[in-house]
Amino acid sequence: MLVKIVERVKEFSLPGKAGLVVILVVLLVAILAPYISIHPHNISSGPPLSPPGGGHPLGTDELGVDLWAQICYGARVSLLVGFGTALLAALGGGLIGIVSGYLGGWPDKVLMRLIDIMIVLPDLPVMIVLAAFFGPSLLNIILVLALFSWVFPARIVRSQILMLKERSYIKSAETYGAGVWYLMWKHFLPEVFPLVAVNMIRLSGRAIVAEAGLSFLGLGDPTSKSWGLIIHHATNFKGIYYTDFWKWWLLYPWLALIIMVISLAFISRELERMVDPRLGR
Amino acid sequence: MEYLFTIWILVTLNFLLPRAMPGDPFLYMSADEGQEVARFSEEQRQYYLEYYGLDRPVAGQYLSYMSDLLRGNLGYSLYYNEPVSTIILRRLPWTTFLVIAAVLLSTVFGTILGSISAWYREKWPDKFLFFCLILLSEVPAFLLGLVLLFTFAAGLGLFPLSGAITHFANYSSWWERLFDILHHAFLPVMALTIARLGGMYLLSRNSMTTVLEKDYLRTAWAKGLPKKRIIFRHALRNAMLPIVTRVFLSLGSLVGGAILVENVFAYPGLGHLMREAVMVHDYPLVQGIFLVVTICVLLANFLADLVYKKLDPRISDYSGIHGG
Repeated sequence: MLVKIVERVKEFSLPGKAGLVVILVVLLVAILAPYISIHPHNISSGPPLSPPGGGHPLGTDELGVDLWAQICYGARVSLLVGFGTALLAALGGGLIGIVSGYLGGWPDKVLMRLIDIMIVLPDLPVMIVLAAFFGPSLLNIILVLALFSWVFPARIVRSQILMLKERSYIKSAETYGAGVWYLMWKHFLPEVFPLVAVNMIRLSGRAIVAEAGLSFLGLGDPTSKSWGLIIHHATNFKGIYYTDFWKWWLLYPWLALIIMVISLAFISRELERMVDPRLGR
Repeated sequence: MEYLFTIWILVTLNFLLPRAMPGDPFLYMSADEGQEVARFSEEQRQYYLEYYGLDRPVAGQYLSYMSDLLRGNLGYSLYYNEPVSTIILRRLPWTTFLVIAAVLLSTVFGTILGSISAWYREKWPDKFLFFCLILLSEVPAFLLGLVLLFTFAAGLGLFPLSGAITHFANYSSWWERLFDILHHAFLPVMALTIARLGGMYLLSRNSMTTVLEKDYLRTAWAKGLPKKRIIFRHALRNAMLPIVTRVFLSLGSLVGGAILVENVFAYPGLGHLMREAVMVHDYPLVQGIFLVVTICVLLANFLADLVYKKLDPRISDYSGIHGG
């Protein structure tokens, strides 16, 4: 398994490799956050709004909290939201896709109509309303994001199952009396899994952006300091436009977000091309 | 049909949400969190329950809610002290303006760049454009908006920092007023346009490449038609179909982007209003905006379906449009 992964990675193009390295670094930073952030991420540790340099590699915010520490811990929030949402969406969407594709008939029709509607529905207003009513906890945000993400894995899985169902080896397995569960475990899941796994990377990128957007509006979880929330505090600071504070307070979380999102996009583009050459848009 | 059904679900959701919320409306109406709770006497409680119709069965509340909605009554804003519909109607034009401008600009420029790329496929203009626009397509609009705001408005001072028009300005003529509006809208529209450009570019590049390989194009070349005529009459016309679909399908995410971008530039549209309403706990207003925005997007898609069937008679089946 591991050898296979290494072989695959060697086939990556340069942007794909760079993206992978960035994500691994972010992962390390998130895991090691308590050890590599010199200062605490939640209480003041120096003069407010001091520029980068000195004891604070990326400067401090308006309360004197170290920005590097905040970015380290923010990586945890971003990764949690991204991969949590993707996992939930892949599980739920995958299940729905299997039901829809394998059963066909009216469940399929109903689910397909639902998917059509979920795709056109604007997600942000719904998220704002739900966040406003149910309180902005990290768990709620992940649940709402998953609610809007499951349609993509569901569509992929459904079309794959529809295609596989007609294959002769599945037909013959069925004539030998293979049950639904047997087919699922032995034939459908191994075929479908790589496609869903690739889609999960794209979904986590979307989720990270959506969380950043909600936090930027001030509707994120106020207790978990994500990159979006740092941007929210920075842009709501009076006089941010007339001073130099944005050069570190706004720039670094902004850069972190952009680099993360673009790296995820590069990786998923690369993997999509490998799994299915027709998808390589 | 399913659009009507969706709208019904949204409306019902809107009705149920505040009723599913934990807590008592009396607690919520009478005190902010952390403040001393003003007590209602039992008679007062009864009076208000009757006044707001909360003593009636839920089905009856639902019926009166629906009939209110059909008459365009979205409730009363607690914070602005005005009917919700009046406030929304005042803000809606600004958002519509931003969204339509961004749709038009990104579609036009995306198609042009995509066609150039398809024409020079695998040569350097294609590779260069492809790389740049792939990068851009991943950057969310509000992060782009922040860059534009800090470089062009705050840094260089070329554009205003916030708002849609200069307050208390006296315009000597209508074109001065128009210029002021465009001046304010330029950066938000740019942020939305650039964020969408990548997607439109990729789509039109693909679509154009497929069309350019078709037999009828070879025929057109063989007939010796002028290049301009081939590109515009034969290739572009056929390549436009998937692009038109995409414009409407992605309207939902564009509206989401517009909500965020409005907040970056403090642009007085619905998105900015929605955030303000959430911040001051003005729930009727939040719900009103939610309904108006989602229903507008659904209606636009409904219209798109109709238009698309006219444009391409080969597709009469609804699901075919969303298949791509």
